[in-house]
Amino acid sequence: MKRFDSTVTELQPVASDYFRITFQWPVTLPLPQPGCFLTVSAGSGFDPALRRPFAFSDVDPARGTAAFIFQRRGRGTAWLAERRPGDSLDVLGPLGAGFRAPPSGARPVLVAGGIGLGPMLFLARQLHQTAAAGRNEVPILVLGYRSASQAPSVDLPPGSVICTDDGMRGFHGSAVAYLDQLADALPPYYYACGPVAMMAAIDRLAAARAGQADWQAATEQWMACGVGACQGCVIPFKDGGFKRCCADGPVFNGRMVDWVGLQE
Amino acid sequence: MDLRVNIGGLTLANPVGVASGTFGYGDEYAGLFDIDRLGALYTKAVTPEARAGNRTPRLADTPAGMLNSIGLANPGLDSFITDKLPALRQRRCAVIVNVAGTCPEEYQAVVERLETVEGLAGYEINISCPNVKAGGLALGTDLKLVESLTRRLRDCRQRPERPLIVKLSPNVTDIAEIARAAEAGGADAVSCINTLVGMVIDVQKQRPVLAMGTGGLSGPAIRPVGVACVYKVSRAVGIPIIGLGGIGCLDDALQYFLAGASAIQIGTALFRRPECALEILDGLAPWLEANHLSSVTEIKRLLKV
Repeated sequence: MKRFDSTVTELQPVASDYFRITFQWPVTLPLPQPGCFLTVSAGSGFDPALRRPFAFSDVDPARGTAAFIFQRRGRGTAWLAERRPGDSLDVLGPLGAGFRAPPSGARPVLVAGGIGLGPMLFLARQLHQTAAAGRNEVPILVLGYRSASQAPSVDLPPGSVICTDDGMRGFHGSAVAYLDQLADALPPYYYACGPVAMMAAIDRLAAARAGQADWQAATEQWMACGVGACQGCVIPFKDGGFKRCCADGPVFNGRMVDWVGLQE
Repeated sequence: MDLRVNIGGLTLANPVGVASGTFGYGDEYAGLFDIDRLGALYTKAVTPEARAGNRTPRLADTPAGMLNSIGLANPGLDSFITDKLPALRQRRCAVIVNVAGTCPEEYQAVVERLETVEGLAGYEINISCPNVKAGGLALGTDLKLVESLTRRLRDCRQRPERPLIVKLSPNVTDIAEIARAAEAGGADAVSCINTLVGMVIDVQKQRPVLAMGTGGLSGPAIRPVGVACVYKVSRAVGIPIIGLGGIGCLDDALQYFLAGASAIQIGTALFRRPECALEILDGLAPWLEANHLSSVTEIKRLLKV
């Protein structure tokens, strides 16, 4: 990990209030892996005082760039949405441990809700590549949105499924409802990133299915240091303990996370 | 330029330290800047038993600052000695352990045990944590308790070369009185200030953002409070003062030195820009030279009031 001043190369709207920001990634740094994150200083003064964490959505070693997708919802992300190519961006990363490979013989089923799109898109592309090399089964990417207008305009990998609560596009119902009725010859192996309610529902689904002792959840939490020092970003676990989202995660076995505690 | 400072018999290579709670046990920032150049590293609090810490959310953003409610999460004394101390011992900077507990006996248990291990430079006694139900702030706001706790720890200390630094809370009517009580109890130095109690309410949900309701406010927002506290304390006690609260650049540090601090700690600013601690250190010698001073402790003489 390193803190450095990068340069924005592109800011692209991908849905209403959702943007993808692309910036230079030095060749001297490790290539970010799906599930890993970075923090940026989102503002020029002291307000906001804390850096903002975002999961990587893309990395392009040939161009020397990386990217993340963010939603404009507060002061920091409003500032980010105003960045333009050539602007400087204060980056700290890569941080955290990314996703692990799926078990052999299982179908990687990737579920993204809201801002979970970025890391899931990144993982889906990588798992398609490793599937082509015969290292895992071909993944399915499932995206859940309230309405068709919120669905992103990004290049989705083949076999992706969009679910909308209003049924105006794709599957009529939630992403979890889609998973529940999904018929596949292979047993599913879940990866997910999204709102806590969605994550809790996936956990219940995983628990209900025999043999699902493990699924991979990319978590998010308010962060201060991002490097494991301050204990601010912890995620509650079902055993009563906590783990640091930044340094122990942000990807955890979803069966271990106390989703009810996190939701409260 | 000689940047050394003396804190109750302990000589620090320079006056720039990193504040307890913001720096873990040192390893976490190792890849981001050269920790060995710091004058002192103040560890995350150590309590006799492991503490999981408070429910989440533990953090909230505030104008020019942040609230935290970590709740002294730490692996406990045994694990600190076994798992954290070996790496800390390798550091060239002074390692000062922040000591906490729920009652005087617990503070004593930590200090007594740490007296038996090598590689530590001193103790910062945390009587000012606002985020725990017992101990912490409850101890730090009572004059008699501050004096008796300090004396108790002073009496059980076998190694007088390790200063007892009492960390003061600004959440009191008169911080100078508390500093005098610590000095009367035998403290070698005081550090001030710990965080200020604060609350952020989510208007849409109509409840506090932090799971525990309140937390400790830190960052640039509290700097004027910290500077005023150091100024008041410097006029009340003769022991050295370590200043902290919202320091992020050389000018911020100089305000604390002018107010009467002998050393400083950087905390919340590390979250934004970890290397700012070394930037402050690198700016000190040129500033002293430009002002025809030969040591950091001479800075306070420049203050005109």
